[in-house]
Amino acid sequence: MARASRPLVTLNGVTKVYPRGAVSVRALAGVSLEIGEGEFVAIMGPSGSGKSTLLSLLGCLDRPTAGEYWLDGEAVAGLDDVHLSRIRNRRIGFVFQSFHLIPELSVLENVQTPLLYGGVPVPEWPGRAEACLARVGLSHRATHRPSELSGGEAQRAAIARALVMAPRVILADEPTGNLDTATGDEIAGLLHDLHGEGRTIILVTHNEALAAAAQRTIRLRDGRVDS
Amino acid sequence: MTRSRVVIPPRLLVHLAARSLWLHKLRSTLSILGVVFGVAAVVAMSSVGEGARREALQQIGALGVDTIVVRTKVSAKGEAEGPGLSLRDADSIGAVIPHSQAVAAVREAVLQAETASKRVDVSVVGTTPAYEEAARLALRQGRFLTSIDVRDRKRTAVLGAEIARSLFPLSEGIGETVRLGGDWYDVVGVLEARGSRRSKGGPIRARDVNQVVFIPLPSLDSGPDRRPDGIEEVLLRMDEGRAVTAAAEVVRKVLARSSGAEVEVFVPREILQQTQRTQRIFNVVTGAVAGIGLIVGGIGIMNIMLASVAERTREVGIRRAVGATREDVALHFLAEATLLTTSGGVLGIVLGLIGSIAIQQFAGWTTAISPWMLVAAMTTALLVGIGFGFYPAWRAAHLEPMEALRQQ
Repeated sequence: MARASRPLVTLNGVTKVYPRGAVSVRALAGVSLEIGEGEFVAIMGPSGSGKSTLLSLLGCLDRPTAGEYWLDGEAVAGLDDVHLSRIRNRRIGFVFQSFHLIPELSVLENVQTPLLYGGVPVPEWPGRAEACLARVGLSHRATHRPSELSGGEAQRAAIARALVMAPRVILADEPTGNLDTATGDEIAGLLHDLHGEGRTIILVTHNEALAAAAQRTIRLRDGRVDS
Repeated sequence: MTRSRVVIPPRLLVHLAARSLWLHKLRSTLSILGVVFGVAAVVAMSSVGEGARREALQQIGALGVDTIVVRTKVSAKGEAEGPGLSLRDADSIGAVIPHSQAVAAVREAVLQAETASKRVDVSVVGTTPAYEEAARLALRQGRFLTSIDVRDRKRTAVLGAEIARSLFPLSEGIGETVRLGGDWYDVVGVLEARGSRRSKGGPIRARDVNQVVFIPLPSLDSGPDRRPDGIEEVLLRMDEGRAVTAAAEVVRKVLARSSGAEVEVFVPREILQQTQRTQRIFNVVTGAVAGIGLIVGGIGIMNIMLASVAERTREVGIRRAVGATREDVALHFLAEATLLTTSGGVLGIVLGLIGSIAIQQFAGWTTAISPWMLVAAMTTALLVGIGFGFYPAWRAAHLEPMEALRQQ
C-alpha cells in the first residue's frame, strides 16, 4: 500500500463531548489515526458511531474537546476561527452528500466562492474556476443555476469548487448518497481519478461498495476506531 | 503558511451585498421604506425650518440688528388707535437716547405717480436725511434728501431701484420729473437695489425700499395722519447693536410720559433672538421626529435582516466550509444592511427635496436646504444601518457551521 512517507493527518486521542443540558454526549472517545499524503481512505461506521463528528473535526469546522490534531505538520486543535477558516479554505476541499451549492449563484460563481475567502485577485477567478469545471467535465454548465443541474452535475460542480483552491485533502461526506447507482459510480470514478493525480481523499460513507474503492478503510464504532 | 489575514476588498463586499439584495428586490424595497420616509420627513421638515430662519434673518437683516422701529399703533382697519406719533416725539427720542447714530421721522402715503408715459400707485415716504443712514441705504446715482430739501420743502424725490426702473424704463431716472399726488418732483437720486424677496407678513413689516419713493418730510402733507406734525414712524439706529434693548425701554418710557402716543416699538434684534429660540425648539422637535422615524426604519431593517439570516443559514454554512471566517460572514450581512439604509437615505433625500419643493410651490412657504442637514441625515441613516444590522450579522457569524449545513 502506498502509505506515504509522512502523515498528512494525525489524530491523537481525540475526544469530542457535546454538552446537552445536564448530560453531555461523548461523540468521540479517544480517536487516534494517521492518514498519509496521497492516501485514499474511507471512514465507515454505523450511524451514531461518530462519523459526522469526526468529519467536522477533520474538516476544521469544529474543535476537539481534547486530544491532538496535526494537519500537514500544523497543530490544529487549538487554532482560532481565523486560522481554522484559512485551513478550510486552503487545505481542505469539501464534497457533501447534498452538494451544498448556493442556489442564487451560477455554477461558475459557486466554484469561485472559495477564491473570495482565499484572497485570490478577482481577475484570476474565471480562469481558475473554468479550469476546475473543465476538470470535472462541466464547462458547458458554467452559467447555469444549481437548480438546472442533474444530481451528478451538481456533485461535479461541488467537486470543482472543492478543487479550486488546490487543497491537499478532499473531504467527501457520503458523496454518492443522493445519486443513483450509475451516477454514483461516475462520481466515485472521478474521486479515484483525483486520487490518481496525487490528492489525498478522505471519504466518509456507509456504502461498502464505495468504500471498496479506497485503499484503506477506517471503521468507527461508538466513538472509537474499530479496526 | 503566512499568518497575514485575508481581508475581502470593500468593493467586493458591496458588490456581493448589492447582488444579494437585488435578488430580493421587493423585500429590500419594503425593508427600506421606513428609512426612506424617515429621511424624507427630516429633509422636508428641516427645509421648512431653514427657510423660515433665512427669511427671518433676511427681513431683520434688512432693518438691521442695531435699529429700533417706533410706529403709531394702528387698528386692523389701518386707523390710528390713539394719538399718533408727532415730529416732537422724534425730536425727544433723538435728544434722550444717548447712543443714537441716526433718528429719522417717517410719514407714509400711497400716491399716484405720473410720468410722461406712466401712471402707477406708489408708496411714498416723507422723511429726513437721517433716514439714509438709519436704514443703511446705498445710492446708485445722485444724492439722498438733504436738510435744505427738508427746510425749504423742496419738491425733490429719491427713487427705489425697482420703482425707478418701472417709472423710467428707458433712462437712468435721474434728472427726470415725476408727478406725485398732483405736484411735480425732481428726481435727484436713485437707490441701489437691495436684495430682499417679497416677504409674506413676517414678524416685522419690513419696508421694501426698492419700491419706495422718498421725498422731504414736510413736502408730504397727505397721509393717514391728518395732523400737520403727525408722523407714522420713527426709525432709530444705534451706534452699537447691544444697546437696542435698553434704548427701546427708554423710548417707551419717554413717549408714555411726554406725548402719550399709542405706539408699537419693534426691536429687530429681539425679534431675531426670539426667532432663534423658536428655531431651536423647532429643531429639537424635528430631530426627535427624525430620531423616532429612523429608529422605526432601523427596526424594519433589522427585522428583514434577521429573516434573511434565517433563510440563508445553509448559505452561511457553505461559506464557512469554503473558508469564510465569522468576521467575513458578519461583514456580508453588515454590508447588506448598510447598503439598504444608504440607498434608503439617498431615496429619502430625493423624496425630501421633492417634498420641500412641493411645500414651497403649494403651501407658499419659503424652504431652504442646508447641505449640513443632508450630511447629517445621510450619516444617521448609515449609522442606523450599521447599528441595527449588527445583531443579525452577529447571529449569522455565530451559527455553527455543521449545524448550518444540516439545515434544509
